[in-house]
Amino acid sequence: MKTIQVLLADDHNLIRAGLRLVVAQQPDFVVAGEAENGRQAVALAEQLKPDVVVMDIKMPDLNGIEACQQIREALPDTQVVMLSMHSDEAYVLRALKAGARAYLLKDSAEADLARAIRAAAEGKSFFSPAVGKVLLEDYMRKLQRTGAEDSYELLSPREREILQLVAEGKSSKEIANLLNLSVYTVETHRAKLMEKLSLRNVPELILYAVRKGIIV
Amino acid sequence: MKGVSELRLNQPLPGTPRWIISGAFLGLLGIMLISGMTALQDLTEMHRGEQEARHEFLIRTQALSGLWVSIQIYGETVQHYVAASDAARDAEIRAALERLKNDIATEFERYPAESNQQELTALHNIETLFVRQCELVDGMLGWPADERRRRAALVIDREIEPIQMEILQRSDQLRLANDQALHEADQALLAQFSLLQGNLTRSIVLALGSGLVLILASLVYILRLESQTRTRYNELVRSRGELERLSARLVDAQETERRNISRELHDEVGQTLGALLVDFGRLSATAPPELRDQVEHMKSVAERSVKAVRNLALLLRPSMLDDLGLAAALEWQGREVSRNSQMEVDVQSETVSDDLPDEVKVAVYRLVQEALNNAVRHSGARNAKVCVEQAGDRIRVVVTDDGHGFNPDRMRGMGILGMEERVKRLGGSLAIESKPGQGTTLTAELPAHQLQETGA
Repeated sequence: MKTIQVLLADDHNLIRAGLRLVVAQQPDFVVAGEAENGRQAVALAEQLKPDVVVMDIKMPDLNGIEACQQIREALPDTQVVMLSMHSDEAYVLRALKAGARAYLLKDSAEADLARAIRAAAEGKSFFSPAVGKVLLEDYMRKLQRTGAEDSYELLSPREREILQLVAEGKSSKEIANLLNLSVYTVETHRAKLMEKLSLRNVPELILYAVRKGIIV
Repeated sequence: MKGVSELRLNQPLPGTPRWIISGAFLGLLGIMLISGMTALQDLTEMHRGEQEARHEFLIRTQALSGLWVSIQIYGETVQHYVAASDAARDAEIRAALERLKNDIATEFERYPAESNQQELTALHNIETLFVRQCELVDGMLGWPADERRRRAALVIDREIEPIQMEILQRSDQLRLANDQALHEADQALLAQFSLLQGNLTRSIVLALGSGLVLILASLVYILRLESQTRTRYNELVRSRGELERLSARLVDAQETERRNISRELHDEVGQTLGALLVDFGRLSATAPPELRDQVEHMKSVAERSVKAVRNLALLLRPSMLDDLGLAAALEWQGREVSRNSQMEVDVQSETVSDDLPDEVKVAVYRLVQEALNNAVRHSGARNAKVCVEQAGDRIRVVVTDDGHGFNPDRMRGMGILGMEERVKRLGGSLAIESKPGQGTTLTAELPAHQLQETGA
């Protein structure tokens, strides 16, 4: 069985201890190291090259988002699970833009951490269910109050399929293989759906998918 | 803080010198009025006295010269009588002499009686002499013509002439006395005038002197008032400046304090509760079924506490400013308000850079927070729009809502004052436009990179 090397980064010992216990419960997880600030996390990650870094957004010295960005740039194979207290899309989007794969609310970290680490290690996205709920609520409320129509209805079934696959972290080539389409066709669908949904980049697309409950 | 206690605005202005100076001015005016009136009165008096003296002198001179002429005529008439040989004209001459005598008697009586003793004596002497002369003449008149021819010339020569001469002499004395009286009256007037002159000089000197003193005193008083006013003005300016610095420090202190409390809440309470939550989670997974409900309940209590602490910490110090930067924090804020109220907030803040100084970020954030809170609480708005633009070194914040508005000139709560204070402190300006029924627009402009403040 392939073990998953995990680096824990949180400035609070108590939280780290709790996370360590959760990780230790999984037979295929190994705690490779612990960091108590962003700078240390980056340094340890470069040294240990873990599969997954579990990182608190709010840390002294260098915050989790900056640290995530640096780790993802230096180690493309190391995935980041972001821990946060906030379910607001501003945070989720920043985390996604920084390259995080999973976004967990601290409230429910212990329940979803194992699943999140596992998903991230496989290159998939994972979000706390509460995050999707909040994002959806914000979205629906805005639609309702401003009277705008739900642009999801404008998408074709093929476009919805591709939206989900992109959001799950698959590349155009993987999608093309999966759906027996050419890469060019996939790219065309992708561009079209993003235009329909007024999305500018992949993080926004992932956020949208989370909001719509397409991925969890 | 010390400047405020040094302020002595309640110290009264000196009141006594004011009354003293007013009294002195009145006194001076009184002196001038009284001395002027006295001088005028004295002058009138003197003029009257002079007129009187001249009049008296004139009357006496007239009376005397009249007397003198009458006596002369009498004498001539007597000589004429003596020389006359014509008996037929005797009676005529006698009657003339008698008439003259009576005239002279009335002239004697007419002579002013109030004259002094010496004059009276002189006059009396003249009268006596004249009476003697008259007696002699009367005697002569009784003489027969031959006797008259014989003796009359002799009598006239020997007796009447000398009397006549003496009368003339005496009347001359009387004239001299009269002159003397006039001269004396003149002297008296002159003395009176010099007295008046002295008095006037004294009062002029007095008025000038006291006026000078008064002017000096007023000048000193005015200068003192002036310097006091200047001192007070300076104190006022200084205390106002101190007040401004104080309120700026207050804003700073408030922000620092909030940050500290927020960090404490977040780092200590929040993290401890968070750790507890993790523990509860593990516990509920492994606990025996009969305890699981209890653990779940404990977990939910802890969750509520975590939420409460987190909200409190966020209210005190928006940590998203540190985590996400201003633009994202504003968007977060807008959604937060939309979530918890009936107002939909649209935030546009794409042009705002991420490397703003902390003070500016906090100021803009608090400004928007306060404006949105006001809109939710007081305006009943359904929509609000937050627009934050950065152009070069200026940041422009515009918050509009479609609520029922208010009159910004009359209603200025602590919230608006606080906003003004923040903006002013950073060298910006704040304007609030609102009319009842027409929504509210808050516009603030701030420098994006405020100069490092010196001192304080």
